[in-house]
Amino acid sequence: MELFINLTINGLATGMLIFLLAAGLTLIFGLMSVLNFAHGGLFAWGAYAGVWLYLLTNSFIAGIIGAIFMGIILGFITEKWIIQPVYGNHVQQILITLGFMIVLSEFLKVIWGPNQIAVTPPAYLTGSWEIGNILIIKYRAFIIVVGLLMYALIYYLLKHTKIGLIVRAGVINKEMVQSLGINIKRIFLYVFMAGAAMAALSGMLIAPYAGVIHGNMGMEYAILAFIVVVIGGMGNITGSILAATLVGLIGSFMAYYVPELSLAVNMLIMAVVLLVRPQGLFALKG
Amino acid sequence: MRRNRFTDKESLLFLIIGLALFVFPFIYEDRSMLILFTQIFIFAIFAMSYDILLGFTGIVSFGHAMFFGIGAYCVSVMLKHYEPTMLLVTGAIILGVLFSLIISFVVGLMTLRLKSHYYAMLTLALAGLFLVAAEKWRTLTYGNDGFTFRVPEFFHNRLHFYLVCLVLMIIVYFGLKRFIQSPLGRILLAIKDNEQRAESLGYQVLHYKIIASIVAGGIASLSGSLYALSLRFVNTSVFTMDITLDALLMTIIGGVGTLIGPVLGAAIIELAHHWLTGLAKVHWIFERWLILFGIVYILAVMFFPNGIVGSVRKLVAKKGKKEDVSTSENIVKEG
Repeated sequence: MELFINLTINGLATGMLIFLLAAGLTLIFGLMSVLNFAHGGLFAWGAYAGVWLYLLTNSFIAGIIGAIFMGIILGFITEKWIIQPVYGNHVQQILITLGFMIVLSEFLKVIWGPNQIAVTPPAYLTGSWEIGNILIIKYRAFIIVVGLLMYALIYYLLKHTKIGLIVRAGVINKEMVQSLGINIKRIFLYVFMAGAAMAALSGMLIAPYAGVIHGNMGMEYAILAFIVVVIGGMGNITGSILAATLVGLIGSFMAYYVPELSLAVNMLIMAVVLLVRPQGLFALKG
Repeated sequence: MRRNRFTDKESLLFLIIGLALFVFPFIYEDRSMLILFTQIFIFAIFAMSYDILLGFTGIVSFGHAMFFGIGAYCVSVMLKHYEPTMLLVTGAIILGVLFSLIISFVVGLMTLRLKSHYYAMLTLALAGLFLVAAEKWRTLTYGNDGFTFRVPEFFHNRLHFYLVCLVLMIIVYFGLKRFIQSPLGRILLAIKDNEQRAESLGYQVLHYKIIASIVAGGIASLSGSLYALSLRFVNTSVFTMDITLDALLMTIIGGVGTLIGPVLGAAIIELAHHWLTGLAKVHWIFERWLILFGIVYILAVMFFPNGIVGSVRKLVAKKGKKEDVSTSENIVKEG
C-alpha cells in the first residue's frame, strides 16, 4: 500500500510537470497549427536561467520568476523571428523550429557550460510528511499542487475571460475572428509567450525534482510532451492533463516494476492512439 | 531542351570532380585527409537518402538515424562474432539493408497516413525507442561504451576503403538519379508539390510514400554500415538525434530536392566540422560549431529554401533566360 501511494504520487508529480510543458505545446498547436519543436529548448533555458538565479540569490521564488521571465522573452523572440516568417508552411515550420532547437541548446552550453548542474529544493520544501506510515515527499506534493493550480488558471482563463473566448474561437476559425476586428496575430504572440513561460516554469520546477539539469534535457522531456499532446488530442487542455497524468503514472509504475520498458510503453500507447484515434483520446471534435 | 543541355553540363562537371577524387589519394598522400574524405562520402550517401524523403516526397522524418544505426550495428555485431572476411561484410551490409527495408515498411505503413507534424513527432519518438533499446540490450551492444571489432584485411588499407566508399557514393548517386527520373520518381514529386492533386489523379499516395521511405531506409542503412566500418567501432551514438540533425543540415544547406545538394552539404559540413574543431584550441567557442550551422540552417530555411545548389541553379537559369530573350529580340530586330 505504501509503495503504491508513493509510486502514485511520484507519477502524478511527473505528470504535472509534463502537463506544464505539454499545455503550451497543445495550445500553440491548436491555435496556430504550429508544432513547436523548439519547445524543449525553451524548457531547458527556463531551467538553466531559473537555477542560475536560484543558486545566485538563494531564493527559490526568484528562480521561478526568473524562469518565467526568460520564457516570456524567448517566446517573444521565437514567435517574432522564427515562426512568423514561415507562417502557413508546415514543412518549413517543422524544419525551422528544429533548427532553432539546435541553436538554443548549443547556446545554452556556451553560456552555462556543457556539464550538468546539481540542484536541491529549498529548505522549506525538503523532507517529507509522515501520515500513518506513508511518507509524502514535500517537493512532489508541491509540484502536484502547482500543476493543479496552473490547470485551474488556464481553464479559468480559457473558459471565463474574454481573451480565452477569443483564443477558443481562434482555434475553431481564425479568419472569422479576424474579420470581427480582432488582431489574431497579437493573440498568437500572447499565447506563444504564455506557452513558452509555462515550458520554462516546468523546466525550473523539474530541476530540484530530478536533482540535476543538463544541456540535453530539452529533447528528452520534449518527447514526453509530444507523446502527451498526441494522446490527449491537439489543442485540448483537459485532454493534456489527463494524458500527462497517464504518462506520468505509467512511467513511475513501469520504472519500478519493469524499468527496461518504461519509455517503450509510453511510445507504444502513442503509436496505438495514432493508429486507432489520430485525433487523440480526449479530443472533442471528431 | 535548354534544361537538358544544362543538366548535361552539370553531369560533365560531376564526372570531372569524380575522376579528380579517384586520382586525389594517389597524388596527395595524407592519412587524415583520406579519412575525412571517406567520412564525407559516407555522409553524402546518408544525406542523399534523406533527400529522397524530404526533397523528393516532402516527408519530414526526424528518425532517420534509426536506419543508420541498424546498418551500423548489423555490420559491427556480425564482425565481432565471426571471422572478418569480405564475404561476411557484404552479407552483413545486405542483412542490414534488408532489416531496414522491413522496418521502414512497417513504420511507413503505420505512420505515413498521418499529417506531417504527427509523422515528424512519431519518427522522433521511434528513433528514441531504438536508442533506448540499444542502450538497454547491453549483452549485444555493450550500451553507450560500445565495442571495437576487426575489419577484413582488405580494409586495413585506408586507401581501399576510400575507393570503395567513393564508388558506392557514385553508384548511389546515379541510382537515385535514375530512381527520381523514373515515372515513379515523378509521382513522388507530384505528391510533394500537391498531395491532394496527386491523390485525385488516382495515385495511391500512401503506397508511393512507403516506397520512398523504404528506398531511403535501405540506403541510410548502407551508409550506417560504412560508417561503422570506417570507425571499426560502434556505440549507441549512431542512433542519436545528432545523426538525423547532420542529415538535415547537409540536405537543407546543400540543397533540398537536388541530389547533388546533399553531397555538397556533406562536404561543407564535414570540412567545416574538421576545421572548426581544430580551431577549438584557439578559442573554446569553436567547440560549439553547431551554433553557426544552426543559424545558417535557419536562414537557409527562411531565405534559400532550395539551398546552395538550388539557388545557384536558379541564378544560372535566370541568366540563361535573359540570354534567350536577348537573342530572340535580336532575331526580331533582324527580321
